Amino acid sequence: MRGVPRMSGRAMSVMALVGIVGVAAGHRGLSHHARKMSGTEVASINCIPCHVLPRVSGPLASLWNAEYASPLRLAVVPDGTLLVTAEEGGALFVVDPERRAVLDQIAVGGQPHSVITDARGRTAYVTDRWGNRVSVIDLATRTRVSTIPVGAQPGGMSLDASERTLFVANSGTNDISVVDLPSGRAVQRLPAGSHPYSVRGSPIDETIVVLNRLTSPVEHRAPPVTEVTLVDAATRRVVRRVRLDAAHMAEGLAVTPDGATALLTIARPKNLLPATQIARGWMITYGVALLDMTSGRVVQLLLDDVNQSYADPYDVVLSPDGRRAFVSHAGADVVSVIDVPALRALAAAIPDDSLARYANDLSASRQYVVARIPTGPNPMGLAVSADGGTLYVAERVADQIRMIDVATGRDRGVIPLGSPQRESFVRRGERLFNSAGHTAQGQFSCRSCHPEGHTDALNYDLEPDGLGRNIVNNISLRELSTTAPYKWTGKNVSLYRQCGFRFAKWLTRTAPYSQRDLQALVAYIMSLEHMPNPYATADGPLAVAAERGRTIFERAATNDGRTIDERDRCVTCHPPPLFTDGRMADVGTGADTDTQHEFDTPVLTNLAGSGPYLHDGRANSLEELWTRFNPDDRHGVANDLTKAQLNDLVVYLMTLGGARD
Amino acid sequence: MTDQGRGYAYGVIGVSALVVAGVLAGRPAVDEPDAAASRRPVGVETPVVAAPVPAARVIVDRWRTFTERDGLPSSKVFTVRAGDGRVWVGTDRGASYWENDRWHTVDTSDGLAHRVVLAIDVDPRTGDVWLGTLAGLSRWSAGRIDSFDQFNSGLVNDVVYGVAVEGARVWAATAAGVSRYDVTARHWEIFTEQNAPMHEPWTYGVHAADGLVYIAAWGGGVLEYDLATDQWRDYRDPDEEMEIDLFPDDGLVHDVTTGVAYGSGVLWVGTYFGLSRYDGLRWSGYFDHDSGLPSNFINAVRVRGTQVWICTDAGLAEFDGEVWVSYARRDDGRGSVTVRREADAPARTTPSAIAHNYVLGVDFAGDTVWVATADGVSRGHASGATTVAHFTTSTGNE
Repeated sequence: MRGVPRMSGRAMSVMALVGIVGVAAGHRGLSHHARKMSGTEVASINCIPCHVLPRVSGPLASLWNAEYASPLRLAVVPDGTLLVTAEEGGALFVVDPERRAVLDQIAVGGQPHSVITDARGRTAYVTDRWGNRVSVIDLATRTRVSTIPVGAQPGGMSLDASERTLFVANSGTNDISVVDLPSGRAVQRLPAGSHPYSVRGSPIDETIVVLNRLTSPVEHRAPPVTEVTLVDAATRRVVRRVRLDAAHMAEGLAVTPDGATALLTIARPKNLLPATQIARGWMITYGVALLDMTSGRVVQLLLDDVNQSYADPYDVVLSPDGRRAFVSHAGADVVSVIDVPALRALAAAIPDDSLARYANDLSASRQYVVARIPTGPNPMGLAVSADGGTLYVAERVADQIRMIDVATGRDRGVIPLGSPQRESFVRRGERLFNSAGHTAQGQFSCRSCHPEGHTDALNYDLEPDGLGRNIVNNISLRELSTTAPYKWTGKNVSLYRQCGFRFAKWLTRTAPYSQRDLQALVAYIMSLEHMPNPYATADGPLAVAAERGRTIFERAATNDGRTIDERDRCVTCHPPPLFTDGRMADVGTGADTDTQHEFDTPVLTNLAGSGPYLHDGRANSLEELWTRFNPDDRHGVANDLTKAQLNDLVVYLMTLGGARD
Repeated sequence: MTDQGRGYAYGVIGVSALVVAGVLAGRPAVDEPDAAASRRPVGVETPVVAAPVPAARVIVDRWRTFTERDGLPSSKVFTVRAGDGRVWVGTDRGASYWENDRWHTVDTSDGLAHRVVLAIDVDPRTGDVWLGTLAGLSRWSAGRIDSFDQFNSGLVNDVVYGVAVEGARVWAATAAGVSRYDVTARHWEIFTEQNAPMHEPWTYGVHAADGLVYIAAWGGGVLEYDLATDQWRDYRDPDEEMEIDLFPDDGLVHDVTTGVAYGSGVLWVGTYFGLSRYDGLRWSGYFDHDSGLPSNFINAVRVRGTQVWICTDAGLAEFDGEVWVSYARRDDGRGSVTVRREADAPARTTPSAIAHNYVLGVDFAGDTVWVATADGVSRGHASGATTVAHFTTSTGNE
């Protein structure tokens, strides 16, 4: 070939050899990098999960990522249409079940949660947890007519009998917004429990039931206590606070048609016991609590069977006659069908001194669970059609609504919400994260302890090292991607290691994830983001105090002018942007029951919503970090601070991360 | 103060009177409103005599007393507050509220910060009750108690003498300054001598009304916080350390203030040396020797409409700017009511009386008056038979 220099056979051989050596060396180097960074010996980890998958968008990213609707909660309009909040789709879907078609999508913001309608079905209200507001939807025109600012991370809602007042549970600020609908303003905040989540009104009177999801602050190493907050809609007052002892993750709520009983879904964690209980099938149990609306008596009964858990009960609805209750198990891909009269009869027959025994009885469910209906993956929100004949199930990670015949329990098929048929890598990880299928006897999913990738606010006795040793506070998984190492002990250099083989042997007690599943799970966890921090404000008194607090956080001298050693300054170990240096430190907080006293320096962003604090969760407030647990200034020099300075420092910490949109 | 001590004090005062007078000579006229006073939303137009005398002034002449025997945790009642359908009392053994004709007690086993409850206020927006104790601030909310102290929260000091709810914020007067807690934003602020004209950070009382917050600082006079401007100003005794009011009506009667109340444009200040009134233009002082005040030793003051009610160590008084009505308990257990305008008036006897003459608090629920004393809490109301114009002794008792 003229004009083109011909490569000799020897040169080609040399080039080929160089190429082979180069590729081999590159592969070896990359494999070494993957093993080093992942802390595993698995060479098949590719670049994508860590470097490009989780958070990118745009045309190129669409090759591996996809946008999904993620249906969460449902409401049935009197005309038969179904309203669906699309948690990740940022919209309210209007669905025609007859035609199995999506009629419309109404944009409502960043992360829609709940939807309710007025009695005539003219207006819908949708909460947006990302935007801290309620969208008011005109259902005739299918348009958003207004938005109403409420507290942070609003979830469930209920109208009063006059439909002039709306009660909204604000998970992020632990209160209830009282919205005056004629003026379109939130006029009151009523204090709730911890993480108020679901709201239902009594069908017979003005009682509004607010179900809080997480435990209220309790003494260290005490069982969780979750609150049900009862509000009188007429007086706009909290009139009763009911304790759910030893229960939490209370998410689903229904009130019987006679108004006598509220049914609440619960989890009963055994977090005070060593995790060896997992092998015995008793780490977390799941059930319902019956709240007597008159007396306030609570009876907890399990929905699990012996040797088979039904993890993550999320929603509960009743048939119109109140004789059947349906509970979605988001981690077990099942809907439990409950014989309500049998359940109530049993609850009434249990003497008060036997309540604790029945609350732990895995054999009781056969008396009131009459069916288990399989569903698609991750069943969450439920609704019953206006005629009472069809149960709708929001299958969140399948992006579809399943229809089930109430009378027979037979599957009537699904309504697809138009999302991509392809399951992206991250979506696969999200499905795995929400499934209890990878734990012994289906006892728990990742979500069981990390709802929405956050924390359940409990302290666990995880290590199989004896009762009460090495207690660890459960931390949020959000924005973890660059904060290695992991675990309070810093033993895991990567999420691969955290969630890999050891995890299976030690915690899930079943076969470990496959390499592909593990990578997908890690990719999903690395994609998790914090919600907007309700305390991060651009101006106002909080911002002024936070600025003063920042100077304390970064100070190099005490109030009397002594130089603070660099190692003893807050900012040294907690540098921005995530406020961790990723190193281990002994700050004097180790307990006699801790094997080691050096702990991984935690991330400080979105701190206000992730209490309790310290490695073992012994501090219920940020103030206690310094007023009680830093007597020798080992956790930063702070004992010279005035109370006002300490307050400023706390404000600064509360405002870190996730500015409000 | 003993007669000997009082004589000594008068002697010291007499010697220094000229010096003090010289100092005072350079002051502006007391009836000139200063710039800060002009920010007060109301009051500058208020006359010294606040209210016309009703044609027939109704007198509280029926009392019922509640003590430990009636279900209170203790008869030592430090404070009483009515609100949201309940009447709350703070005692040295917990707090108790009156509902459905009986007392319901909450104590440390329920989560109360300390058994000694010195101050109470009710949030009108939520019905939540804030209780100041000797070891922190507690919130009672539909039966649940959350307690805040200087270890687990931003509260400046655990000894809480006074509490006032102002919108979504709670003010706590403590032994080491004032804390303000924004319940919605979960934000604690502290006011001490570092950032307020607080001569003495030992604060005793707090009252919020009409966009103003008043602090009674024990030894530091009164502080006024304007919510619109976030500005402080202070009111001090021009006579400074003197135990008598050297120049009448020149300002606060004394810096040892124990209670403060504001209403109808008038500020009332209780001290251990008399009562002060300020309408934004002029100060007036009231003492036991020239008014119907039972004693100069005032524990608390409370405003109802145009009336001020004064709790002293020698009984309870109400004053509407014209007529004083004083209530006391006689040694025989019957009541003594004195009604006077200007001159001493003879005391009338009523069959029932307040529980004790050491009165620590007063509040109102409709037409009912509740009085906290050192030996129980009393509930009083007017039968209608006893008036100023036609005073007759009531014969009834509950």
